[in-house]
Amino acid sequence: MKRVMGMIVGLALCCAAARGYGQDAKIQLDSLNKLSDKAARVTDVTLDGSLLQFAVNMIEKADDGDEDVAQLKSIMKNLKGIYVKSFEFDEASQYSKADVESVRSQITARWTKIVQSIDKRSNEHDEIYLLKSGSGEHVAGVLILVAEPKELTVVNIVGDVPVDKISSLEHHFVINDKDSDKKQKKGKSHDEE
Amino acid sequence: MHFSEDDLREALKRKDPGEGFTQRVMARVEQAKAEGKTKPVNGNGNRSFLAWWRLRPAWTFAVVTLLLLGFAWGGYQYSEYRHAEEMRIAAEKQKQMEEKQKELQAEAEQAKAQAILALEIARAKLNHVLQQAQVPAGIEKIRRQRL
Repeated sequence: MKRVMGMIVGLALCCAAARGYGQDAKIQLDSLNKLSDKAARVTDVTLDGSLLQFAVNMIEKADDGDEDVAQLKSIMKNLKGIYVKSFEFDEASQYSKADVESVRSQITARWTKIVQSIDKRSNEHDEIYLLKSGSGEHVAGVLILVAEPKELTVVNIVGDVPVDKISSLEHHFVINDKDSDKKQKKGKSHDEE
Repeated sequence: MHFSEDDLREALKRKDPGEGFTQRVMARVEQAKAEGKTKPVNGNGNRSFLAWWRLRPAWTFAVVTLLLLGFAWGGYQYSEYRHAEEMRIAAEKQKQMEEKQKELQAEAEQAKAQAILALEIARAKLNHVLQQAQVPAGIEKIRRQRL
């Protein structure tokens, strides 16, 4: 009986821990919403739960023969949420350090800073953080913070993120069922480059 | 009251009907016949009505046929109406389902586009940061971190 109880408690603790890690991986970005008024271009993506599942299903339906689609599928399959907030301004200094700090303050000790780049000449501050899962074998979340004079971008991906695959993705995603999409995405990616 | 045998015999003995009895009877019969033709006997209305029909089988057949045709036409019209209603309801349901399906499809397409956009931004920014940080083997480093 004690053994069974022990197992139940252990299982409950594991679940709680997993839930805790999942929650830790999600960074609240709502505090940045106020920048929308000042920004010339805002990109706001919130994709989780059923919407993310929709997206995964749609990508699953796409042509398997395409290498990019296959890579996209492998990236998407273990994700739990994708949150992006990107603000492009016409003039510099439209956001404050406090805005960046509101994001950074949520990064707990469990997060690991993988890359930091500070360029004082161009006044750019970039950081990449990883959150490992409880077992340490998988990534539970990624945070990319890019603070440029005229642009502030925060990307938060929750789940087992294959960062290497993301960075090695071709700079266009080709989904064969939608040529228009293909062109649109290609255009966008070139713009961003 | 007591009747004796003689009383009964007296009462039941033959009596002469008198002269002209046959003529009187025949006259009454003729009179009864004449009355029967002109005046219907009270309480026998239904019987005479049925008798009328019985005497006119062609009319009876025509009326019954008309009634049957009327019922058949009414039944057919009702079944047609029911069928049309069922078809209309089914078409409405189908339309609603198709609309819902379209909405879901549009939602899924939008979600897919958002996911691709998000990953596109993630890729661009990730590579940008790695380039800024001048991490030549940045990806390898991240890969090691994952392991």
